Amino acid sequence: MSAEIKAGPTEASDPGGVPQKRKAALRRFFDAATISVMPIYAFTLLFVVGPLVYMFILSFLKRAETWGVLREFTWSNYTNILKPVYLKTFYESLKLAFFTTFFVALVGYPFGYFMARLSATWKRRMMLLLMIPFWTSSLIRLYGWIIIFRANGTLDKILMGLGITQAPLKLLYTYSAVVVGMIYALVPFMIFAVYSSAEKLDWQLVEAARDLGATPWQAFITVSFRLTLPGLLSGVVLTFIPSMGLFFIADILGGNKVILVGNLIQEQLMKARNWPFAAALSVVLMILTSIMIALYRKVSGVKDLEGLV
Amino acid sequence: MKKLLGFAIVLALLVSLASACQKTPGAPTTGEGPQDKELNLFTWEGMFPEEVLARFEDETGIRINYSTFDFNETMLAKLEASGGGDYDLVIADDYILEAVISSGLAQKLDLSKIPNIGNVNPIYQGQFYDPNNEYTVPYGAGVQTIVYNPDAVQIEIDGYEDLWDPSLKDSLGTIANHRVINGMALKVLGESYNTEDLEVIEAAGRKLIELAPNIRVIKDDNLQDDLLSGEIDVAVMYTSQVTTAKLANPDLKVVFPKEGIGFGIMANFIPAKAPHPDAAHKFIDFILDPEVSAECFEWLRYYCTNKAADELINPDYRDFLTLPEGFNEDMEMIRVVSAEAEEVHTRIWTEFKAACGQN
Repeated sequence: MSAEIKAGPTEASDPGGVPQKRKAALRRFFDAATISVMPIYAFTLLFVVGPLVYMFILSFLKRAETWGVLREFTWSNYTNILKPVYLKTFYESLKLAFFTTFFVALVGYPFGYFMARLSATWKRRMMLLLMIPFWTSSLIRLYGWIIIFRANGTLDKILMGLGITQAPLKLLYTYSAVVVGMIYALVPFMIFAVYSSAEKLDWQLVEAARDLGATPWQAFITVSFRLTLPGLLSGVVLTFIPSMGLFFIADILGGNKVILVGNLIQEQLMKARNWPFAAALSVVLMILTSIMIALYRKVSGVKDLEGLV
Repeated sequence: MKKLLGFAIVLALLVSLASACQKTPGAPTTGEGPQDKELNLFTWEGMFPEEVLARFEDETGIRINYSTFDFNETMLAKLEASGGGDYDLVIADDYILEAVISSGLAQKLDLSKIPNIGNVNPIYQGQFYDPNNEYTVPYGAGVQTIVYNPDAVQIEIDGYEDLWDPSLKDSLGTIANHRVINGMALKVLGESYNTEDLEVIEAAGRKLIELAPNIRVIKDDNLQDDLLSGEIDVAVMYTSQVTTAKLANPDLKVVFPKEGIGFGIMANFIPAKAPHPDAAHKFIDFILDPEVSAECFEWLRYYCTNKAADELINPDYRDFLTLPEGFNEDMEMIRVVSAEAEEVHTRIWTEFKAACGQN
């Protein structure tokens, strides 16, 4: 992009013959910078824009009986979403996402904040500890939660061993189990976002506030919190948006009884074989998440997610 | 720090993608080597014990290329893409066979090349997808049955209707197949699984909502584990799960619901343009051999579709893999219904699951 802008003035200052102009244009076209960007454009067009357009078109078609779609235009996939049962899945998804994000912020913010205050060695060690779980598939780690939660599972054994409870708690396949699973899966993203923001914090500002008579709490609220807010907000985005789509946690830990938009899309696609409806649901979900990101930009006044660009 | 967050984003993507990363079917190899020295078998993973496949290769000198699919629909898409070529033998579910045969993607079997065809249990033949047995040979059947732990359940269960009993509150687990579970309600109302009367399906939906308080879990994978661990006391399960559960705990009771039995059949067919049809016929005949069949079904844990193999099955398994004495053929298969009916089915199913979450 920048290559094109730079090329502008040379062309204007050189009103030479046509061949020269063409040469310049050619040179500009084959400019190293332009060429190096091409693969990314091609990739984006092919693998991001293409599928999105396909999905959008699909959402206006009719389903075929056994398999596939018919090339007939219809609005019915979108009007179908307005049925109470499907609207409710959107409500359930938002509710769970809010819950999850709230708890993730509660756990992740202090974690990331204090992690930024550790010595360089400990920062590295903490980082490693946070990364290690990602070496295992998240699905397998969720099965670990099943072992903990299930009747007469690890948690039950400990609680009953200590005499705190008398009978199995039946925690598996409950809403709380889903929330725990979601928090577990998403908390690292909040930690990383807050940490990256707290790392950049100039602690001298906090000291200055303290020198000027602020209590530690006042100094935190007026200085540290304000300055790490972008990190918190981008952590919120990084938690909120994936939690709208993490259908397999609700499946595995919720026993399929918490129906989120993600579950519905998966089921329509894989089991009900209603691709157009799944596509329409995805389009609506995408619009919803885009609104969330727009809101985030508005609130934080930042164009990009903290630390991403 | 920018790098770090970039990394975090990648991780976020990985988490959300994890579920999408399922088994990728291997690409089939075609056209190599002389004809009939190869067999491109296309089915789900784990349909045959390794030894059986190895023995076939040893005896015939035909090499088997086993490629897998996860969903019947994926198989259909691949066959459509190749016009019925690439694969020599496919094993898939009943309802999709109807689509395969009606789109001309299967070829008629040459029964003279399958001397063992007489071993097939006729109960599983002549079904809607292939009324004259021209295209398919069954390989395993599934029956949705109720299994319960008599120590934990106060009532006697002999049909679907009993599952609505209030004493079973929060103790029932079902598979996540919407047609099977909606079908339970349809059966209780005395209707067919395949009714296309939207009012009747709606009524089944209302009936199903009343079942919600009893539901503890709805899932397809390893439901038997929950029954064995005591998480649930009653389950509506697939045949292979019932067999696994029963082998682990012989005290469990298996019920053929009095309202009638729903069942599904898996069957072999040879695609229209199969590169090695002779090898495919040989394989079909090979697995119809009573001893080979018995070995396969003990391993597969589905109902034995080979009558000659019934008595060869290990007595530990025989009761769960063969139909009971005096079986009255009161059974119905789940078939594809009209798009409108299917839409009502998926809606009442979603309503039902949401209602289960409200307890």
